[in-house]
Amino acid sequence: MSEHDHARDEPGGSRAGGRRPVIRGVGMTAFTGADGRPLGELLRIAAGRALRDADVSPETVDSVHVGNMAAEAFNERSGLANALVGELGMVGARAHRIENTSASGASAFQDAVMAVRDGPHDAALAVGGEQMSTVDTSTSTEIISRITHEGEYAQGITLPSFAGLAADRYLGVYGATRADLARVAVKNHSNALSNEYAQFNKRITVSDVVESPPVATPLRLYDCCPTGDGAAAVVITSKDASASDIDDVVEVAACESATGTHAVADRADPLAIESVRVAGTRAYETAGVGPGALDVACLHDAFTVLEWLEMEELGLAPDGEAWKRTRDGETAIDGGMPINPGGGLKARGHPLGATGLSQIVELVWQLRGDVPDERAVPGPERGLAVNVAGFGNNSVCTLLEVPA
Amino acid sequence: MTDVLECADCGRRSFYSKRRCLDCGSDDLVDAPAGDGELLATTTVHITPEGVREPNALGLAAFPGGANVVAQLADAAAVGDTVRLTGERDLRTTDDGALRGCRLVPVE
Repeated sequence: MSEHDHARDEPGGSRAGGRRPVIRGVGMTAFTGADGRPLGELLRIAAGRALRDADVSPETVDSVHVGNMAAEAFNERSGLANALVGELGMVGARAHRIENTSASGASAFQDAVMAVRDGPHDAALAVGGEQMSTVDTSTSTEIISRITHEGEYAQGITLPSFAGLAADRYLGVYGATRADLARVAVKNHSNALSNEYAQFNKRITVSDVVESPPVATPLRLYDCCPTGDGAAAVVITSKDASASDIDDVVEVAACESATGTHAVADRADPLAIESVRVAGTRAYETAGVGPGALDVACLHDAFTVLEWLEMEELGLAPDGEAWKRTRDGETAIDGGMPINPGGGLKARGHPLGATGLSQIVELVWQLRGDVPDERAVPGPERGLAVNVAGFGNNSVCTLLEVPA
Repeated sequence: MTDVLECADCGRRSFYSKRRCLDCGSDDLVDAPAGDGELLATTTVHITPEGVREPNALGLAAFPGGANVVAQLADAAAVGDTVRLTGERDLRTTDDGALRGCRLVPVE
């Protein structure tokens, strides 16, 4: 570890820019299947909570980054960032919207981190949100399927279709069972029981999962995250600028992203999600640590099988063995490598643009010890989040740590 | 869809439109017949967008030269079967007309 620590302290080393971004405050709305309030209000509430948590006044925020995938399609609205700035009293700040499909939230976070790390901004607000309840399931499936390659779109392929194929292949190649896959959903539902911000607070069993209606075989309803409404926000400042005398800051050790092929079948290995592997490798290099240094992770479990594929891409399990970690309880809150202690996309919910930031919020709460005992990872010092656009089109990997 | 793009420099093939080879970056891509592939995985999708058949049986198949494809299955087929893309047809209806392409068909 000593050479890593040394590399980190070198100016112009892997942490280019010289200023260390820290998370000063976080906040989110409770995710729900249908929140009656407008999208703009959800964004304002989440941002207001993060600002209060940070004890930062709005007029000091000089850079605003709003993550959202499809307000034009779901809400017939544009200009979200400009509206938010006016409402929050940040007129004059730089502001823009970031769209990276289902990873829009993490991309907004990455943009905010870079604004502070590389300057000239001193305080950045990243807020992400989506309101999907304005349309029925068939329409939201269609809106989301429009992110696919035209050759995929013509075949009627949806995001669950890719997950169904990946699950079929994973089970066939590695010998995991349908019940093993269900255990991912059972665990994440169990974790969400003590998360008042989660969309689902309902314990489920393996039989509930395997007997639920088929969505994209072998995947069933309880293998899939829900659609819903929500927003989440983070306030970032630089450590040297403001935070040396403040308790409870969490340091951004790395935030890196990578794109993958647009057409999923263009990947040499159809089970590989290369963008997760590349973003993860870059994040480990920037932070100067490896997967063994992690105490907790929030992965993009839009479908149960994705939790396994991402564990393997990120070095949290050898290829073909993530399912054993789940089966053996290693990924439970009291296991060796707790994954998705807040319930993940499966049970916390997946309001597209909000999700990446809700993962950061959960990690910060875990690292500060601000969660109920039932879902508190014991004494975590370092956590990872990965937010994935499409079925691996573009992934963002973040490493957070408690300052030494 | 019965053709693939083949890289004239390195031979890597792909079913999906692109300007440069995925492996070597060459822009010398030529059409080639896809040939026969192996079915690697299947799924039956029960929630489909408007204009798409429901349920929609899909297969992931690997063809020579590293060309993989996800396409509708014409008939019941099992993982490991040899398949071919054939029979250009309407796959999906939209407000702007039908989108056409081929389905994966098992080869005897």
